[in-house]
Formats: sequence, structure tokens, C-alpha cells
Amino acid sequence: MCLQNNNMASQGLAYDGCNFFRQRLVLSTLSGKRVKISNIRSKDDNPGLRDFEASFIRLLDKVTNGSKIEINQTGTVLFYMPGLLHGGSVEHDCNMQRSVGYYLEALLMLAPFMKTSLKATLRGVTNDHTDPTIDMLKSTALPLMKKFGIDGEGFDLKVVKRGMAPGGGGEVFFSCPVRRTIRPVQLTDPGKIKRIRGVAYSVRVSPQMANRIVDSTRSVLNQFIPDIYIYTDHMKGANSGKSPGFGLTLVAETLNGSFLSAEMSSTPQGQGDPMLPEDLGRNCAKLLLEEVHRGGCVDSSNQSLTLLLMTLGQQDVSKVLLGPLSPYTIEFLRHIKDFFQIMFKIEVQKPSEDKRKGGDKVLMTCVGVGYSNINKTLK
Amino acid sequence: MDGKVKEQKQKQHQQKHSGPKAERKKLKKHGGPTEEDARKRNPKAFAVQSAVRMAKTFHRSQDMKTKKHHIPLVDRTPLEPPPIVIVVVGPPKVGKSTLIRCLIKNFTRQKLGDICGPVTIVSGKKRRLTFMECNNDINTMIDLAKVADLVLMLIDASFGFEMETFEFLNICQVHGFPRIMGVLTHLDSFKNNKVLRKTKKNLKHRFWTEVYQGAKLFYLSGMVYGEYQLQEVKNLGRFISVMKFRPLVWQTSHPYVLVDRMEDLTDPELVRTDPKCDRTVSLYGYLRGTHLKNKGQVHIPGVGDFQVADVNFLPDPCALPDAQKKRALNEKERLLYAPMAGVGGVVYDKDAVYIDLPASHVNQQQEEMRPTTELVQSLIDTHATLDAKMAASKVSLFSGSATLEPEDIGEQSGEKEGLQEESVWDPNTQRERRKVVFTTEDEEDVSGSSDDEDGDSEDSDQEDQGEDDGEKNLSTFLKEARAKCVETTKTGAGAPPVKRPKLEERKGESAEVPAFADSEDDLEVSEDEEESGGEEEAGRAGDSGHCSEEDEEESDDGEEESEGESGEDDVAADAAMKEKIASEEEEEEEEEEEEEEVEEEEGGLKWKEGLQQKASDAFLRQQQAAPNLRKRVYGSVVEVDDSEDEEQELGGLFRVSRPQNSKKFQANAVDSSRFSPDASHNWELEEMLNSIRDCFVTGKWDESQDAATLLKEDEEMYGDFEDLETGEVHKDHTGQKDPAEQNSENDDDDDDQEESVVKVDDKEAMKNKRLEKKQRLKERFDSEYDDGDATYFDDLKEEMQKQAELNRAEFEDVDDETRVQYEGFRPGMYVRLEIPSLPCEFVTNFDPHYPIILGGLGSSEGNVGYLQMRLKKHRWYHRILKTRDPLILSLGWRRFQTMPLYHIEDHNGRHRLLKYTPQHMHCGASIWGPVTPQGTGFLAVQTVAGVKANFRIAATGVVLDLDKSVTVVKKLKLIGYPEKIFKNTSFIKGMFNTVLEVAKFEGASVRTVSGVRGQIKKALSTPAGAFRATFEDRLLMSDVVFLRSWFPVTIPQLYNPVTSLLLPVGQKDSWAGMRTLGQLKHDLGIRNKPNADSLYKPVVRAQRHFNRLQIPKELQKALPFKSKPKQLQPKGKTPRDLQRPSVIREPHEKKVAALLHALSTVHNYNRKKAHTLQHAKHKQFLQEKGKQEEAKLQRQKEARKKLYRAMGQADQKNQRSSLKGAPKDD
Repeated sequence: MCLQNNNMASQGLAYDGCNFFRQRLVLSTLSGKRVKISNIRSKDDNPGLRDFEASFIRLLDKVTNGSKIEINQTGTVLFYMPGLLHGGSVEHDCNMQRSVGYYLEALLMLAPFMKTSLKATLRGVTNDHTDPTIDMLKSTALPLMKKFGIDGEGFDLKVVKRGMAPGGGGEVFFSCPVRRTIRPVQLTDPGKIKRIRGVAYSVRVSPQMANRIVDSTRSVLNQFIPDIYIYTDHMKGANSGKSPGFGLTLVAETLNGSFLSAEMSSTPQGQGDPMLPEDLGRNCAKLLLEEVHRGGCVDSSNQSLTLLLMTLGQQDVSKVLLGPLSPYTIEFLRHIKDFFQIMFKIEVQKPSEDKRKGGDKVLMTCVGVGYSNINKTLK
Repeated sequence: MDGKVKEQKQKQHQQKHSGPKAERKKLKKHGGPTEEDARKRNPKAFAVQSAVRMAKTFHRSQDMKTKKHHIPLVDRTPLEPPPIVIVVVGPPKVGKSTLIRCLIKNFTRQKLGDICGPVTIVSGKKRRLTFMECNNDINTMIDLAKVADLVLMLIDASFGFEMETFEFLNICQVHGFPRIMGVLTHLDSFKNNKVLRKTKKNLKHRFWTEVYQGAKLFYLSGMVYGEYQLQEVKNLGRFISVMKFRPLVWQTSHPYVLVDRMEDLTDPELVRTDPKCDRTVSLYGYLRGTHLKNKGQVHIPGVGDFQVADVNFLPDPCALPDAQKKRALNEKERLLYAPMAGVGGVVYDKDAVYIDLPASHVNQQQEEMRPTTELVQSLIDTHATLDAKMAASKVSLFSGSATLEPEDIGEQSGEKEGLQEESVWDPNTQRERRKVVFTTEDEEDVSGSSDDEDGDSEDSDQEDQGEDDGEKNLSTFLKEARAKCVETTKTGAGAPPVKRPKLEERKGESAEVPAFADSEDDLEVSEDEEESGGEEEAGRAGDSGHCSEEDEEESDDGEEESEGESGEDDVAADAAMKEKIASEEEEEEEEEEEEEEVEEEEGGLKWKEGLQQKASDAFLRQQQAAPNLRKRVYGSVVEVDDSEDEEQELGGLFRVSRPQNSKKFQANAVDSSRFSPDASHNWELEEMLNSIRDCFVTGKWDESQDAATLLKEDEEMYGDFEDLETGEVHKDHTGQKDPAEQNSENDDDDDDQEESVVKVDDKEAMKNKRLEKKQRLKERFDSEYDDGDATYFDDLKEEMQKQAELNRAEFEDVDDETRVQYEGFRPGMYVRLEIPSLPCEFVTNFDPHYPIILGGLGSSEGNVGYLQMRLKKHRWYHRILKTRDPLILSLGWRRFQTMPLYHIEDHNGRHRLLKYTPQHMHCGASIWGPVTPQGTGFLAVQTVAGVKANFRIAATGVVLDLDKSVTVVKKLKLIGYPEKIFKNTSFIKGMFNTVLEVAKFEGASVRTVSGVRGQIKKALSTPAGAFRATFEDRLLMSDVVFLRSWFPVTIPQLYNPVTSLLLPVGQKDSWAGMRTLGQLKHDLGIRNKPNADSLYKPVVRAQRHFNRLQIPKELQKALPFKSKPKQLQPKGKTPRDLQRPSVIREPHEKKVAALLHALSTVHNYNRKKAHTLQHAKHKQFLQEKGKQEEAKLQRQKEARKKLYRAMGQADQKNQRSSLKGAPKDD
């Protein structure tokens, strides 16, 4: 009697291409459905999985128990049979091609459903261009998860060491308690922005850089609200990683406790034109304005996390108001339909003429699947 | 007699008007002494006697209150709940079928012959019931206990409780406890009334201990003409129809269907060629529990796990009455639905109509040969579907996505259709089959045979037309269908036929867009194109992982085109609809229509250009995107599949080749959640900045929240006030004047004459205003202060209540087709599930007496893994269970055989393997089985085959943990012997075989049997496996050294579902799985030779000799004499020198001695004689003396007596004389 028993109906899903790789593996792990991804860069000069994807698979293997991963010779076909999420203390050296945010985004989705609470130490690049940085996840994703009832002692995300691309050398500590069920939420009113906070960080450059960023940022944002405070975070010595760089993360907090964020970091050393801190500050401020224009109760990079937690909630109606859906989110919705057979009711809310509240908003409504954490031990 | 009664009138009650009683009453009437008064009058009685006791009572009352709390749950019961499942259980011959028959007759006034399968009836305005009889097979009992809402437990009172009853109760306890009502039958067999009463009481109390104190037990006293008494059945029915149920955890978290109808959809040709081929079966029933998602996984207990191919909801065959005015149901509303029992006659499916043979006919055949009837029935059924399929292929052609030539169909006659059908039989066409055409066509068939519909004949006429001319437009067809719908609704036939056409109509509309049943979407197609074009223009990569946008577009184009072809009518209708949409959009639509034919191939590029100009206005585009978002997210996925199909072969002729590179590039794009900003937004511009001003607290607020308006409101409320000290009245100056006031002022200006009247009005208005204000103030005060004692529990309850309301309200106004997509099929719907690849035995061995349950599985409940559970052997099961013996578990929906390992947790958290379950204790059990949520209960039986005399449930327990690995260990003792002993170090041999093994155990602690502890140090070179070890003491060569280690145990991966439903009819209760070792040995007659060492032999013990106790001399000396060792040796011979010589007498001496002896004898005799004489004399003397003494005492006594008398007389004399003398003196 083995797993491919006739008695158990097969329930695998098959995909083509490495796009949305994390989504598929994360949803597969949560739903317990097998997934087969073929034709991964099969036409590419350098076919197969990249190092950062392999590293991600390794991380997934660390937090699960009994996962079965099969990759063919060239790395173009991946078969993943998920095990059960185990959690506990995990240390992982992330690949430098992508920042820690790439890995952490997936961990945020998995962490509440482990057997024992997750205590992960991730090493690598903490801030880069392509992925949400740790500062951003800390200031937006964590308060968001708290709304779903994932809260309590040991819910923490810390930047121990900061490491910029391409050298890395940063370290992040993430711990998350375990939940059995997720609460449904009704986030339909974002409220007005009451304050803007931010972190201007700099490593292995002059500490003055951070101050220059702050000044230029304030010059843009002060037109809207006076309550702005941007912390300057200059890390030195062992905590400063291996590459120089600086950057800014801005977070706008509303009266109803939703967070919108924007961020920008300097171009990595030796890649492209260097950036002036003033420009960076201004551009980042504009990004925040763009984010405010999009609006919603959740900022654009956390849309998928929100939708996942809504899906995994109890069998009740959850509602959330989002800005325009990002392509990543749209694909995530399709994947949710594949894995959980959940469809969202999508209603577009157009802003009325007299109100100056940015662009269209999307009201997402769904009924949760009634997911319960099957990994948690009953005592 | 009546007159007599009238005459003897009772004496009227005389009310007292005076006296103490009347006074007391008067006092009472005028609010006399109440409890309060008593408190005042007698304060001591109500005073606090003891603070401690008061605290205790308070504590206790609070405890009792809190105990009543349940964790509040969100109420997820649907508005129209599914029928309540009533399972009738009991041992054989107890009257189960009779009771069901009686209840059905009570509710519906219909008689049902053979009860097989579930019987659904409408019992009231808001309640439906499904009756199911549970036979004596433990499989059935287990399955039905999981789906039952109410259990009617029949008990033969003349016999008492039987094992089945208790078994069923225990099954219920494990799988959530449904409502249980006991019913005592065979009460008429008691002749003695007293015995009857006693039996009732005994049974009742035993029943109460099992269920709960005060559980309802019904008595059915006797039978009248083979039926229970009418009144008693009526009462039972009343109880059932008002009963309330509490939600059970497993049932509310899983969707399930108790199947009341089964149809085999397999191609008959396929069955003919291969009778053993897997079957496609559609199963019908009311959905219960929770929402069911399409394409989910289900478990059919007794068959296995299956993927559902398709789910549809059908019109309710046993609908609740619509009108709620009347109190009782009329005859037409008392519906009965029991397809398996052969009731109902005509059954409507989503694409076919089934005719059941008359019930009596079926019954006759059922008793003879069930399977053949099944086969015949299925054949009849499939003929109906054949037509449908054929028609389906025709219509799919007209809708535009042509797959079949019309000529082929036209040529084929009825016989050839079977062959044709094979090619049609794919999911695509199946979807197409939903068309109106087929159903109505089927209806025609029905109308031929059954006469329950009036308007059908007309329909069928139209039908024939529609069928005949294949060239007819779809649009006209639809029209006809609609017209027909109206007709049928007018005729007002029974519930199913009315509802049916509505559904069809909807389906007809939706056929073009497979993903969505919204007619809106059709109109939005063009917008969609435009929108996706815009996407490309904006340069956003990776819109979808599956395809480029061009794919999407083209498929859309295809649709558009087909629409155009389908007929002008349709287009016209569309245009009419479009008028409602914004004019701007309309223009675009028209543009598209014009351009469509021309630009079909290169449409993507052209569109880009067109949109490039428009793209400057971001808002406009957003607006256009808006209604399409849902389609963009979900629609494209489905379309991709379609387009891919098309790619394979378009209309069976063309192949569309496409550049693959772009697609692959899309599929391998960067995986990042960042959403790059819209390039068109220039945040330097003031208008852009202005567009988000109100998002900040510094911006403009809503009317309701604006600080200024709030302040104003406050002022209105508190503006006027009167200073009570000074009597000054402060008027509200800033606030706006009341409209009434304003009016009055205007009136003043206009007309002075009416002033008085106006003043009155003014006063009235003021008064009203004041009242209003007071009301508002009061409300505010209430809201502030009354919520103070709202507890956490209340808050939680309120929260749940809100959530429940939201759940209800959210999808209330959405039509069912769409709603089903969002939340799944909701409980209460009558659904049809299509399951492919069921084993053929399911159909061939189908027995309606056995329940078929479709249990929905959660997201990962389809996997297998290791389960850790807490288990306890049932106290009534007479044997303990052995590790690794196969056991049949009922867990979740499933019944399966597995091999558990029993273990117990040690104090350090180690799971130590046990060979057997403990007798009266919980232990752990680890199995390889289906993943089931923690906290789910299970029960175990050793065999499900046959009926045994004793209790069958072997163990019960609960799932604790799920994992992919196990941590059970068993103890392993490795034994070695000393080879060489130094001081505290020894060389030990025999424990290991190689140096490597020793190396693994270096540092491990060892122990000898005598308790000397030690440690393994290092391996020795020779002999292999020997090692050096140090001990805390010197060993002996006779010592045995052992190493205690823990060895991980592997759990046998046996998961063997009990496939009892696949067994032949009549043998369904004889499923036999893997046998236990004991059974195997017993069956095969194997007897192990016992270990000789384990045999009992007479104990022979060698005599032991102990050495003497040696006490040192010094010690001996110091001991007291008592404790000194004594010389206990017997005396030896006296030595010669100590021996005395014997005396030998002379004859003279002998004489002398003899004489002396004789003399002494005489002397002794004389002395003795004298002594006795003396003794006697002395005795006599003493007697004499005694007598004399006595006489002397007597004398003295008498003398004293005399003396005292004389003294007394003298005294008397003196007294008398003194008395005499006194009066003399006077």
C-alpha cells in the first residue's frame, strides 16, 4: 500500500513555466495538493530552475516534514508533493539573487499554520529592488496579519543585520505563533491617513545620506500632512552587511489602522547609474502618493497575503477593499480557485466626482473554506 | 339526570366583608406588605449571617450560570434547510418499517409498500423529513450515525435492550451525538399491568443513563391491523416536527449528501463490450452540512474516494409550500419523494426525464431479481439521454463553436445514435447539453407516457418542429423556448415542472460563456478586449501565467463572431440592452463591430494603437476596466483552456499555429509581488496631487464625519440651556433656526392677522423639538451607560450574530447560478453529482436498502499520513487489542482497515511501544491512514462481517496529531558478558559484532543485572565487537552487562478501505479484510511450539546448607550470658573415672533392707490412718464449735432485741407522758 493508492483519488495540479513559482508551492503546501510544474525555462539558454528558486525549495523543505520534491536532470520539471508544515527553529541562507523578502513573503503565508511556532533566521540580502523589503513587510504585513487574529507573544520580525544587494550579509529574524483558525475580516473602510512614518537606512555609506533622504521626502509629503517622522537607521560594523547602499521605506497609517507603504533603495553597487539620495527620497515619496492614489485597506504588495488569509478563514463572509489588483494578485486569485475552489466576488467601486480619493477601488468578497490548521497538535 | 344536576346547585362562595380575613385582603389590594415590606419588618431574617457563606453561594450561582454558556458559534444554517434525516434503528423484528410506514402515512396520507432508500416528505410549512431505515449491519449503523439528525431508537420492550442498541449508542457518541429518541414497542405482549409498568421504568432509567437524564422515551402500546395506534403515531409525529437540533461539529464542517437516487450514465455500448468497465454515475440528494464546492473530492463510505466531475443543482423534488398563510398543509403540499422506493413516477434531471415503473411492478421484481431490473431501468434511462446527446451536438453547432456537421446528425437514425454518442461524449458537449431543446424533448417523451402535465403536448409540438428543421436559428429557438416557459408556468403544474424551464432558459443563455452564466458578460466581451489591449500597451508583463493576452483576445473575438452569426435577433436584443450602458461605451462597441471582420487577425496590434491615444486618460480606462474585472480574473482562465482545445483542432479541420516563444516568455517571467506604478501618473502636477487630497485627515471629510457638522450638531443639542441659578435662558445664536421657526417668521411678515394661530403652531413645534432633543439625549445616555454590564460573552455573541447576518445578506440578491460559483452549493439544495470511474460493482450490486453517502472532504483530507490518536479499549469489549493486529476504524467519513501500534507516553515524552492495549486506561495509537482534522473521534471494530453475540465495538478514541513521521520506540536490551575484569574496568564481549557498532555507542551507559552502572569507553581490536567499559565497582565474571536502548518502530502502511457496498446483494455484511494473526492461526490450524523455557514445570529446589554462625571469641566474651552461644551438644558418656561402681548387697543386708522397707511401709500406713482420723475429728470439732457459736449469736440477738424493745417502750412512755402532761398543764 503506497501513496499512489487507488483508493485515494488523485488530486494533482499541473502548471507550465516558472512564473508565480512561490504561489503554486505555497498554495500546494497549504491545500495538500500535489503540483507539477513543467517547462521551466525550457526554451531558455540557461534552462531549469534558478539558484534562488532552488533555495526557496530548500527552505520549504526545512519548514515541512515529509515533503517530496523531484526535479529532473535539467531542472525544467518540478514535482512537489507537500508534507505537513512543521515549523520550529529554522535557519536558512537565502540566495543572493533575490532578497530575503522573496522568501519571507512565502513564510508569512505559511507561518500561522505550522505544528510548532516558527522561529526563522534568514540570511542574505535584506533590501533590494525586486522584492518587498523587510522594513516594508514589518510595517505593513504584520499589522495586517494581526487583523486576522494572528497575534500574540512571539509575533515578531526583526532586522538583525542589514545587507544590501549584491553582497548581502544581512540577517532577519522572524517568529510567528500558530493558529488553528483564521478570523474573517471586514475591511471596507480604510479611513483617512493620519500619519506618515518611515525608515531611511544607510549602510557602509556616510550617515548623512539618510538625513538627505529625509529632507527631500518631507519636502514632497509636507503638502499633505504635517505628521511625518522618518527614522534614520544607520547600521555599522558587523551589522552593516557586505555592500554599501541606502534606501527609504515610507508607511502611511490611517485612522482605521490600515497601512500603505512605498519603498525605494539605491541601485546596487556596480549595477547601473548611482542614485542621489535626494532623488531617491522624492521618488519614494511619489511612490507613496501613487500607493495612496491606489488606496484600499491593504497596500499593493500585500494583496495576495490578504486574499489568502481571507480564503483560509472560517466559513464566513470576508470583505476587503483593495486598490487596483496587481497582475501578481490576479494570478494569485486564479491559483486560489485552482487549489481551493474559491472565487471572489469582485466589485469595482468608483470614486464619486466630488471626492478626491484617488482611483478606483475593488471590493473583494469571499466565503472562507473553513480551513483549520491540521498540523497543530491537540493536547 | 340532567335535571337533577341542575337542581343540586353548589353553594355560592360568600365573600367576607368584615373580620380579619377581609381586612387582610383589603390591605393586599391596596399594595399591602410585599417582599420589600417583609425585609423592612424583619431585617434580621435577611441580614448577612456569614460573609463566607454568602461568598460561597454567590460563587456557586455564578459557576452554574457560566456552565450554561456555550462558545458562541456563527449561525450558518441556511434559510431553507435540507430535510431532517431521521434514522430508524433497532434490532431486527422490532417494528422499524412499520413505524416508518405509519409516520409517512401520518404525514402524507400515503401508503408506502416497501421502504428502501431514503424517503423524503414534507411534514410542515417549514420542515421536511427524510426517513431512513437502518438495518442490523454494523457498516450501515456506522454510516447512518454520521448523517443522522434524529435517531428513533426502537426497543422491543418484551425482550429488553439488545446489543445493537448499545452499539448504535456508542457509535453515536463517537461521531457526534445526534438527537436520540427511544421508542418502546411490543408493549402489548405484557399481560400483567404491574410488570409492564416496572419494565417501562427499568428501560427508561437504563436509557437515560446512556443518553441523558430525561431523554424522551416513547411508548407504542399495541398494533391495530398491523399498524401502530393512530393517536400514538400522531403524537410521535408532533414531537418530531417541533424538535430542535444542535449542530454537530463534523456535520457542520463538511458537506454531505444522503443519496436518494442513482443513475448510471455509462455508455451502454461500453458496458456491452466490457461489462466490468468503470461506470460514470450521477447521484442525487439534498446537500447538507456546509457549502459544497464543485470539482471537490468526496468519499463514499463503503466504496472509496472519488473526484466529482460535475455538480448541478436541480429543482427541489420535494419543495416546501410557498404560501405561508394557512396553518396546515393541503393535500397537494404533502409531498413524498422516494425514488428508490419507486415513488414519484417521473423524475426530472438536468438534461433528461426518467420514468419509473409503477411501484407495485418494481416491488414484485425487486423481490425476485433486483440486478436485472436495475439494468433494464438503466437501459430505459439511457435511451432518453441518447436523444438528448444527439440534440446537444446539433445545438452546439448553431451557437458558433462548431464541432459537428449537421448532415451527420440528420442522416443518423435512432439506432446509429449510439455510435454517434461516443464521439460526442466529452466534457464540452456535456456542457452544451444543458440546452432547452433536449429537456423539452424529453418532456415530450414523458408526456407520451405520463399524463401529469397539461401543457406538455403543445410544447412537444413545438419541440418536434425545432428538432426537424436543423437550419432554424438559435435565436428563434430561444424565443420559442421562452414562450413555452410562459405557457408551462401558466398551466401551473406541480413544482418541479414549473421551476425546470426557468433553469433551462438561464442555461440557454449561459451556454455561450462557459465560465459565467451572466448575460452581462456577453456584452462586456468587447470591453474586455479593449481593456486587455490597454494592459499590453501599459507594458505590464506577466498578466497571466498561462497565456499571453493575445490568446484571450482571439478567443473573445471568436465569441463575438459567433454571436454575430447567430442571428440578427440576438444582436438586436443586445443593442437594446446596450442602450442602458453609457453612450461612450456604445460607440466603442459599434466601432468594434465594424472592425471585427476586417481586423480579426491583426486585431491586437490595431487595438493597441487605438488605445494608445486614449491611454492618456487613466480614469476613463479604469472605468472601462471596472465591470470586466471579474471576467479578467477568472474568465480568461477558462477561455485559455478553450482556446487550447481550439488550438488542437478548430472545427475538426484547422490547426492554428501560434508563436510559442511569447507564451513561454510569459510563463517564465519574474516572480515578484511588487506592483510597478502607473507611468501615466505624474505626481509633479497639481491636479494629480489634488486627486488624493481627501485621503488624508487634512482633506475634506464626509458630511457625516466632518468636524464642523459634528460641532454644529452638538451645538444644536446643547446650544440652548437655562441657567438654573440665575434663571437666565441662553439662546442658541450660532445654530440655524428651525425650519418651523423660519416659516413662522416668514408668516409673521406676510400676515399679522394669523399671528395667534401661528403662535400656537410655534409652541407646538417648540414642544416637539424639545421632546425630540430629550429623546436624543436619553438615547445617548443609554448607549453610554447601559452597555456597561455587557460581558465579554455578550460581545462575542453579538459579533457572531453580526457575522451571521452578513453571511446571509451578502449573496441574498444574487441569482443561484452565480451564487453557487462564489460560495459553492449551499446546504438545502437538491444536487446532482456526477462521478466518473466508479467501480462497476457499485452499479451491478446496488442495493437501495444500504445508504449511499457522499461525504465531502476538506482541503487536505484526501491525503494519507501518520495519525496519532488517543485510544481506549471499550470497557464492554471482552478482549484486549494487540499491536499490529489489523483493526477496522471508522474515522471521519471513512471506514478502513489499518494496523495500529499502541504506545504510551513516558514521563520524558517518549512514546514507548506497548504490545497490548491496557485494560482500563487510555493509550496512544499510531496508524497510517487518511489525514483527518485533530479532535475527530473514531471507533474501532475488529470485524464487520456477520453478527456476533457480544459487543462489537473494540475501542474508541480521538485523533491528536498528524504527521509524516512517527516517534514510537520500543525498548531493546543488548546483552554482553565480561571477558576480562580489571579493577573497575572490564572488557565486555558479545554485545556487538563489529568495531563500527561499538563506535556508535561510545559513551553509552551500561548496567549489570546487579545494578552496577558503567559506561562504554572504546572498542577493542579483538575479538570484534568487544569493548572496554568502566564501572562504578568491580564486576564478577558471572555478571551480565546490558545496554538499554530505544529502537524506532515503523508503522505498517496499511490503509484498506472497507468496500462493503461493492459486495453482492445479500452479502454486503460479509466484508472480510486482513485477518489478525490469531485468526489466521486458528483458520489454518497452526499452533506454535511453545518455548520450552516458558512451560510450567514442577519446581525442584536443591537443599541448601548453611555454614554455622561464627561469633568471634572477643565478642562472645563481651556478650551477656543470655546472648552467649550455649553449649547445646548432648552430654557424652561419663568418663570411667567419674563413673560410680554399682552396690551389691549381702543376703543379710538384703533382709535388713527388706524389713526396713516393710516397717517403713507399715509406719507410713499408720501415720496416714492417724492423720485421716485426726482430720475427721477436727472437722467434727469445728462443726460443733460452729453450732455453739451460732447459738450464742442467736442468744445475743434475742437479748438485744429484748433490750431495744424495752428501750423503745420506755421512750414511747416518756413521750406519751410528756404529751399527756402538756394538756394537763393547760
